[in-house]
Amino acid sequence: MASTVPEGRRTVLRVRPLPETDPGTPPLTSAPAYLWWVARRQGWLLLGSSLLAVASAVSLAALPFLLGRVVDTGLDGGLSRDLLVGCLLILGAGLVLALGNVVGHVLDVHNWLRGAFRTSQLVGHHVTRTGDAVTAELPTGEVVATVASDALRVGEVFYVTARFIGGLVAYLVVAALLLDSSVVLGVAVLVGLPTVAGALALVVRPLQRRQAEQREAAGRLTTLGSDTVSGLRILRGIGGEDVFTARYREQSQRVRHAGVRVAGTQSLLDGLQTLLPGLFLAGVVWVGARLALDGEITAGQLVTFYGYAAFLTEPLTAATQAVHVLTRALVGVRKILRVLRVPVTGAELPRPDGASSAGLGGDLVDAVSQVLVRHGTVTALVSADPDETARVATRLGLLGREHADDAARVTLGGVALADLGLAEVRRRVVVAESTPQLFTGLLREELDPRAADGVPDGLVRAREEVEARLLDALLAADGQDVLDSVPDGLDGEVAEKGRSLSGGQRQRLALARALLTEAEVLVLVEPTSAVDAHTEARIAARLAQVRAGRTTVVVSASPLVLDRVDEVVLVADGVARARGTHRGLLDGAAGPEAAARYRAVVSRAAADEGTAGTAAATGTDTTTGTPTTREEAHREAARR
Amino acid sequence: MKLPVADAAALRAHTGRLLRRHRRGLGRVLGLHVSAAVAGLAGPWLLGLMVDAVRRGADGSFVDQAVLFLVVAVVLQAGLVRAAQRASMVLGETVFAELREEFVATVTRLPLSVVERAGTGDLVSRTTTDIDRVQHTVRFGVPRVLVTSATITLTVVAAFVVDWRVAVALLVGTPLLVPTVRWYLRRAAAGYLRESASYARLNGTITESVEGARTVDALGLGARRRARTDADLRVAYSAEQYTLRLRTVLFPGVDLSFVLPIVGVLVWGAWLIASGHTTVGSVTTIALYAVQLMQPIGELIFWLDEVQVGSTALARIVGVADVAPDRRAGDAEPSDEHVVAEKVRYAYREGHDVLHGIDLDLAVGERLAVVGPSGAGKSTLGRMLAGIHPPTGGRVSVGGVPLVDLPLEDLRGHVALVTQEHHVFVGTIEQNLRLARTDAAPEDLRRALEAVDAWEWVAALPDGLATEVGSGGVALTPAQAQQVALARLVLLDPHTLVLDEATSLLDPRAARHLERSLSAVLAGRTVVAIAHRLHTAHDADRVAVVDGGRITEIGSHDELVAAGGDYAALWHSWQRD
Repeated sequence: MASTVPEGRRTVLRVRPLPETDPGTPPLTSAPAYLWWVARRQGWLLLGSSLLAVASAVSLAALPFLLGRVVDTGLDGGLSRDLLVGCLLILGAGLVLALGNVVGHVLDVHNWLRGAFRTSQLVGHHVTRTGDAVTAELPTGEVVATVASDALRVGEVFYVTARFIGGLVAYLVVAALLLDSSVVLGVAVLVGLPTVAGALALVVRPLQRRQAEQREAAGRLTTLGSDTVSGLRILRGIGGEDVFTARYREQSQRVRHAGVRVAGTQSLLDGLQTLLPGLFLAGVVWVGARLALDGEITAGQLVTFYGYAAFLTEPLTAATQAVHVLTRALVGVRKILRVLRVPVTGAELPRPDGASSAGLGGDLVDAVSQVLVRHGTVTALVSADPDETARVATRLGLLGREHADDAARVTLGGVALADLGLAEVRRRVVVAESTPQLFTGLLREELDPRAADGVPDGLVRAREEVEARLLDALLAADGQDVLDSVPDGLDGEVAEKGRSLSGGQRQRLALARALLTEAEVLVLVEPTSAVDAHTEARIAARLAQVRAGRTTVVVSASPLVLDRVDEVVLVADGVARARGTHRGLLDGAAGPEAAARYRAVVSRAAADEGTAGTAAATGTDTTTGTPTTREEAHREAARR
Repeated sequence: MKLPVADAAALRAHTGRLLRRHRRGLGRVLGLHVSAAVAGLAGPWLLGLMVDAVRRGADGSFVDQAVLFLVVAVVLQAGLVRAAQRASMVLGETVFAELREEFVATVTRLPLSVVERAGTGDLVSRTTTDIDRVQHTVRFGVPRVLVTSATITLTVVAAFVVDWRVAVALLVGTPLLVPTVRWYLRRAAAGYLRESASYARLNGTITESVEGARTVDALGLGARRRARTDADLRVAYSAEQYTLRLRTVLFPGVDLSFVLPIVGVLVWGAWLIASGHTTVGSVTTIALYAVQLMQPIGELIFWLDEVQVGSTALARIVGVADVAPDRRAGDAEPSDEHVVAEKVRYAYREGHDVLHGIDLDLAVGERLAVVGPSGAGKSTLGRMLAGIHPPTGGRVSVGGVPLVDLPLEDLRGHVALVTQEHHVFVGTIEQNLRLARTDAAPEDLRRALEAVDAWEWVAALPDGLATEVGSGGVALTPAQAQQVALARLVLLDPHTLVLDEATSLLDPRAARHLERSLSAVLAGRTVVAIAHRLHTAHDADRVAVVDGGRITEIGSHDELVAAGGDYAALWHSWQRD
């Protein structure tokens, strides 16, 4: 056996490791077409595992035959040559079986992994190219389920293929051998076993239905459980634990009852799986023993027949399982195809020729809202309805499905964004929304995704320089405290969705990330909505410094921010109504009507903030040297 | 802070208790399985008899009788298998239901301070992943382990009964089987856990890509997300390779140790036959038993590693019960509603005080705003005032009784805390509200919602109060969730409330409006509001400035402004225009 182990390992090594660099482009026409496409990509592997499965199955079927032979020729002659030859043959069959099983298993697993991983990769890659269209088409949970479960179902198909083929061959071989010894037995096997299989299939269907019911009930129970635990702080704070334990218990009992119903059907199937093959076996023994008594077959052949009848249940199970697996996989593939059919945004398609320099250094203009953002200025958008300005902001960067038709109406330096192509727009105009998502990964890389890709200026920088750049951005976003919250600072890992950080920290981190893109045009939507006034004032001042001379749009109604920008555009009813500096608009430079309107928007916000503007920033003006640690920042805040 | 995991001894004790509690059911299940296995032994035995009969040249009636006997045995076995399977599955469901219900009951009783500090991530994974794992083991694993163990034992016993001299040859594979299986089992559980962790990671990555699809698009993160997906798949692949390698050792070892007994029985049997110690029939029977052992042993090994994985999950479930209570309720009754903090200190880690001896006397019915830079200890102070954590030094009392000496049910009637953390429970809005007061009248619900400016949007929902919300229902915005949380507080109606950034997710105007309507409803209640917006301070009776774990200034807004300290500086800088 020692020799079989390295054999298996070598086989492992010969197979190309996963995942593939490119999962390929599957047909999206139908589920069978998809499965066939995947199968063709691992055809040799499937062929190899099928051949091995046949070898294993045949050697397994040979055991009863060899056993019968020994009973006939070797058992009563002492340690005869016949006995020893017979035993060596059994040992040989055993070795082939062991080897075939282990190598076959390795190949089966690789078939499984290949099918499943290719599918997971296709889905995982596709969702990064669709933008928010994918969430509009399907709930997140369903998309994740295509990777978490449907892709595995696809893999299963290729896992069972070989065993199914091996079983089929073994079944035919045994039937032929039996037919050769006795027509009655041969026919009984050929007709009897499929009948038994059919009878069992009748029970399988209601069983599957009840299992599905139980799974559903159990799924609800899990939801209920995780819901209770997620809200545990609230429950413990205000009471209601009993309500929840009772609710959980009720659903738990429902799951139990569903389980008891499953047990009824499942045990019936188990019983039938014993009964039907058992009766078939008894029939074979009866006919065989009669034949043996009549001298038509030997006692050893009787043993062989018995062994065959017992063996034949294997291909039977393999066949029923294969049908079951294929059905499940087809259902899964249909869900996978729904995800893969979501159209891509096109932001990753190659840019049209000559687009890269078009409109460089020009103003950004939205013809829909008549908002104009002058090149090289920091411009704020203000509206009584924050959603309205947010909409203008995302339109300026063509972000989101809702702006799919706006590409011709927004121009950068006189060139319509439609002519620049979405890829170029994404490179040059970056929109950071107010609740952007953070991703799991090293803080250093998550902060500066473009540098990690080598995109911003194509230069490889020294480590110190990279570090300084990151710290500068964090400082501008007043996010140095994040370095203390993430273990190991820049080299630490941000937890899933930045969950371990507070809401304010997440927002400031996202702001630093947006600044680090160093985009030609940066659009920030409510970048300071979740931070306190001290912090907002500091951010407003530093933001103006960092982005000085580069086109920047900020959506905000906070006077602390407005007083720091070069220009303010007042939007009402979806259209730009007035523009000027914060002070100018307040003082009526754009006319008394505009001033009244502007004051109504800003001073309401101002009243809420207990402030009318300019001065908070003054505090930072007097700052000599920028605070580098959280403590210093706090001390500085206190000084003010 | 990590939640405890049960050690091996505790796990054994717990499993032992569980089994003892179901002693009778378990006995019945075992009895049925043993009987079924006995009936299953008839086949090879009868065949052996027939082989001898054929060789003797017996007549057909013997064969008929033997086959009839076989049919009876098969029918009996089928019936017993059905009963045994049913009984063990039903028992499994019962035990498992008990286990998970006890777990959830324990979890919902966890001490307040533990819940606050451990966070919910660990608990959620215990409630979902671990419960699912144990469920798989209990529902499928345990019954199969019972069946296969019974079958293996009885088959070996039967072989010895038929002819012990021949049967000893059955054990020839054992020296190979036992070390191989042990080698495998020592490594398997860790390998499979690593595998499932790698898939969990992949699913997490996909979730992030999908939920953050807009951000991915906006910042051009596509290539990075794809690289991450591929990296996760690479980790999953290597985890799969590891367990596959384990199996490439296990499978041949097991397969060979199945073949060896067959050959051993035949060779040894032939010698015994030749020396007149046994019959061809007996050897045939035992050789067939050897063949028949392959399936149950293979299945048993398969389930043993599942059971291992299940027991690590069980250790995490059972471990939760080991959390020690953080307080013991006394029987002193508060004499009034007066909340006082005296020399309160608190350290999350020993030696690192976050609060350095805070004294605070809350006048009944006053509104105190707490302001200060982030990290100053405001939230910790809030938790002390709400009796969430027992202070490490000093005390917080109500009516002369330390908060942490009050039974939890009473504590809630005195002080309640609402944070910016929001969670909408699965269920209707009404159910979400009634948590705070199960017997609230419909008008009370409406009044509470009106007090937090939420009645308008609730009434506009398709089914109003009866609208299903939470996971799977109508999704509420964070601001709406925060309003629901505050409405619950209105229903709970304690005399003292601590609001820790409780309105921070609303936009400033809405927040101020809400706070004003809320304060109308809360007239006469003592309110401590921790806030980052200055208007809250402006509207309050007193303002406390917290910095570096100390109260640096306290007084009314006007007093503080007049005093010209930090608060005044802050306020003036905002008011300058």
